[in-house]
Amino acid sequence: MNNNSINNSRRNWQFSSEEMGSHAKSWLVEDETAREMLERVQTERPFLLLPPLHRVPIRVGNVVELTGPSSSSKTHILIQAAITCILPKQWNAVSYGGLGHSVMFIDLDCRFDILRFSELLNHRIMEAGSSCKVGCHKMGSEAQFARMKHYNEELFASCMKRFLYIRCYDSSEFLATLKTLHYRLQKEREAHGLNVHLLLIDSIGAFHWLDRVVNMQQGNFGLTCRKSWHLQNVSEAVVQEIRRLLLVHPMLVMATKTVFLGNKYSKALISASHACDGYKSSFLRQQVFYERVKTSYETINHFVSSYGNWPAADNPYSRNVTSTDRQLPYRKYMPAVWQSFVTHRILVRATDDDSVDDEHPNNSVFLLEWLMPPVNSLDKFTVTDTGVFILS
Amino acid sequence: MAPLKNLETEYPIIDSTFRKFCASHGIFSVEDFLIHDLYMLAAFVEQDISSERLKEGITQVLSIIDDMHQPWWNGMELLEDAKRNKHVLPTGIQGIDLLLGGGIHIGQLTELVGPSSSGKTQVCLQTASNVASNHMVLYIDTSNSFSPERIAYFLGKTIDVASAQAKNQIVQKVMSNILCHSVFDIFAMFDVLHQLESHLRYQDGGGCQMRLLIVDSISLLISPVLGSSSTQGRALMLSAGYLLKKLAHQHNLAVLCSHFKTPIHGFWEGCKICDLGPALTG
Repeated sequence: MNNNSINNSRRNWQFSSEEMGSHAKSWLVEDETAREMLERVQTERPFLLLPPLHRVPIRVGNVVELTGPSSSSKTHILIQAAITCILPKQWNAVSYGGLGHSVMFIDLDCRFDILRFSELLNHRIMEAGSSCKVGCHKMGSEAQFARMKHYNEELFASCMKRFLYIRCYDSSEFLATLKTLHYRLQKEREAHGLNVHLLLIDSIGAFHWLDRVVNMQQGNFGLTCRKSWHLQNVSEAVVQEIRRLLLVHPMLVMATKTVFLGNKYSKALISASHACDGYKSSFLRQQVFYERVKTSYETINHFVSSYGNWPAADNPYSRNVTSTDRQLPYRKYMPAVWQSFVTHRILVRATDDDSVDDEHPNNSVFLLEWLMPPVNSLDKFTVTDTGVFILS
Repeated sequence: MAPLKNLETEYPIIDSTFRKFCASHGIFSVEDFLIHDLYMLAAFVEQDISSERLKEGITQVLSIIDDMHQPWWNGMELLEDAKRNKHVLPTGIQGIDLLLGGGIHIGQLTELVGPSSSGKTQVCLQTASNVASNHMVLYIDTSNSFSPERIAYFLGKTIDVASAQAKNQIVQKVMSNILCHSVFDIFAMFDVLHQLESHLRYQDGGGCQMRLLIVDSISLLISPVLGSSSTQGRALMLSAGYLLKKLAHQHNLAVLCSHFKTPIHGFWEGCKICDLGPALTG
């Protein structure tokens, strides 16, 4: 009986090794060719060309950063992307050209206006509906009109349900949101079958100044393993959470960041800051203390700051820049861990030019510049009721 | 940053073994969990002896963290809340009402900017008198510029009741709806706002609701702290801004701040800024 069992075990071993052999061989057989892989990836994760970001194709897994001074339509671009994402591709024989996925909007600036959002969505729905009508048949009877209105309302409701929104009033709420986002996404997927495709963060640098001050080191007692609530640690935690999230739920991340377009900066200003008074100098003072903090608190590694060719713009409050200023410097104030996480960077700013287009006489024109990957042209666009309208 | 020990009474899973395990990784409070890598922690838990209980502990902490952030809303819920709660409060001044689309919005922080003596305090007083007829108003006065006589004058112009006694009664009633606090530094303002927040959280829904918060003028509170050469000033200003935005959104208040001269770039995000200089003087 012993022999039998030994024979059995040997046979088993032989059998398993043969299995392993065939198994090993099966490793060498290719799964798919490169062309097949490209096709598969392009259907599963297609390139998105969202106006006005249509110059460079972006896809799921990218992290896009929109920088610009305040009131330069960055939030509007996010809203535009959100509306394109929540609209379905086709509904009721009308083509809307959307993606039909959910969107998560993390509002760190706390200035989102849902009424404006719903207006824009309605405009898009009506526009798509009316353009189809022209092609198909005239809107004749009242009943047809009422039915159209009803369909539009249904579509509106289903789109709005795909838009998920949260506000965060400080970093700990933001981190708490990110840590529990994975379970929230799983729950949404199971409950509604919704796949989140887009993660929008309005103003990633919102708590930057708050975190620099809050340094809860009480009770540290020299414990090196305890992480203090420090800007660097918070940013690392944020980037780590988003990175982990992207592994499990592939999404496109778009974040806005408010920067101040720079002025001529020199050593003379440092000494002049002491003599300054009033608010006109508060802009200069913040440049000054930034320099001091840089040397006294953080090491250079923590901040990537660069001062390029500064145009001689005299007015520090001017957010309007002529289109000839190419080399526009601005302060990159986010820590290096976020800077290296970003895969695409865009600079948006308002211009002084009046709109040359007759259709949109009173709207301000914005300039968009791709910083990473660098594209040699500037896009001009304006914001209308129906959304973003590309001028050139 | 309360230590984890305090959670044991409510959540018995957070016992001493769990706390010892967390302490070995440098975690002493719930906030420490936020900046630590929970997946790495879970991996360490696998290697520990009492891994099941520790895993339950981590799951419990995650559910505590889930309560630490604001709730998620979807678009329809947001829209309904906006339509139901976030009305517009007319200021009583035609030009400003036209400019702002009906008046100041509940749920938003509106900033009046202008040079000195451009009428900002008058706008604040007029708005207070207009809103106080229907709602309660909290007026935070930083420069001793609150004038009950002026409010009575504004009310007198709008109330058209025959007898002087009835008029007086109405004026009394409306004036009692305006609460005025004098604050002279930013910390006193934080105090008032925190008290307001706890009062609003626990008040019942009936009676006259507070709908307007006026800060006249906020620049007097912020400029002393901003002048210093540390980050504290800016952080204080930002915290004040966030607290006001939170009060506005969660408790359905309209917040009106008056601000001297030009707005400080980038720090008063979330405001509708209307520069009164040209409107009032020109």
